[in-house]
Amino acid sequence: MTKYGRTLQIGPTDLTSEKRTPRHPLHLIPEAARASFVPYAPYDFSVLGSEADMTRLTPGRPQADGDYIKITGKITDQYGRPIKNSMIEVWNANKYGRYTHIEDFSGLQLDPNFLGTGRMISDDDGNYEFWTVRPGQYLALPDISRWRPKHIHFSIRGGSSRLITQMYFKNDPHNDRDPMRILMGDNFEQNIGKQYDIEGDEFDCGYKFDIVIGGRNPTFFENDLT
Amino acid sequence: MPHSDRKINQLKLTNEDTLGPYYPISLCDNDNMNMIKIHSGIVHKATGEKIIIKGCIKDKNGSLAHGCLLEFWQANEHGIYRSPDEENNDKIDPWFTGYARHRTMDGNFKLTTIKPGVNNDLDMPRAPNITLTIFSDGIMRLVTQLFFDGEESNETDPLLLSIPKEMRKRLLLKAMTRADDGTTIYNIEINMSGENETPFFDDLLS
Repeated sequence: MTKYGRTLQIGPTDLTSEKRTPRHPLHLIPEAARASFVPYAPYDFSVLGSEADMTRLTPGRPQADGDYIKITGKITDQYGRPIKNSMIEVWNANKYGRYTHIEDFSGLQLDPNFLGTGRMISDDDGNYEFWTVRPGQYLALPDISRWRPKHIHFSIRGGSSRLITQMYFKNDPHNDRDPMRILMGDNFEQNIGKQYDIEGDEFDCGYKFDIVIGGRNPTFFENDLT
Repeated sequence: MPHSDRKINQLKLTNEDTLGPYYPISLCDNDNMNMIKIHSGIVHKATGEKIIIKGCIKDKNGSLAHGCLLEFWQANEHGIYRSPDEENNDKIDPWFTGYARHRTMDGNFKLTTIKPGVNNDLDMPRAPNITLTIFSDGIMRLVTQLFFDGEESNETDPLLLSIPKEMRKRLLLKAMTRADDGTTIYNIEINMSGENETPFFDDLLS
């Protein structure tokens, strides 16, 4: 009767993962209960355009320390259909590897001109864009000298689409020891922003990060396709 | 197009990743753990039996799992979910969305809502339940459903029946006390790992 799906893996050297990862395999959801697992978050979001500019606190204020980068991409389901009007929340550490979060006790340097969070809504073609500073790496576990590579956090929600993920940077020397990167294996490529040049001196460069949301979450009821 | 061809044409998925410990608390400012009142200061509210659920998320050592982002999703008093498919359904409650989101600082949570009903129009009616999704540092998304202890419809619920009998009780909300206004308060302990590990479901492969 019981049918099992994936067994979740524990991120190597990740102590929180060791404490929080279920050891029992996940149970497959029977068809009669499947639809009830797809939350449909209400579209009552409103976002200011300036929330997509993380290089300054608000328009007209001085810019934060670091290299300014533009992140662009398209959000689709696995069939390439755009996921539009979804809320994208992003957050990253400042140039020095410090989050503004009150629970970041690292003591690394703060930047008074960096908030570290941004929001935007994907357009009708699923496209999004925001500006931030290239985040610093930081020493996550001093005892074993394990660093977290540069990364930007993403949360996507709205309608029934939702995904929490991170964008990484190619050739970061700390990528190879990152617990979640190790679990991704060859699929790590999907989570790397593809660098491109931007003319002028407003940005150091751009990164294209297309996001493909899997499973039956991204769009409501796609019975005709699965 | 035959099914097998469609599989080949699918795009490679972006990997899920952990929430990390620093999900911005301010992004939760507009989240609401009261599903009965979407807006403050107006007369409208959701219809149904008001209930309160008090719960906690614990790790393998039995310690509270701080910093989890929780999502709740449930049907209305008639067992109908608010989705685009149900827009013209008479039984949709205009003042109930069934969705709540919350970042728990210390691992505890309190949800005020209405008790979901049973939709007997379905071939296999579901027992009243609330879907819970947990995002946190160290894990990918975890999903499960919570049921109400003592409900007759639990005996025929397709999801409860699909897991081993001894595990079912770990998904039951237990009526423990009443609030001053008579509202029933339910309790539940979610164990992410370890003894009495809560059954979780595979949202990606199912």
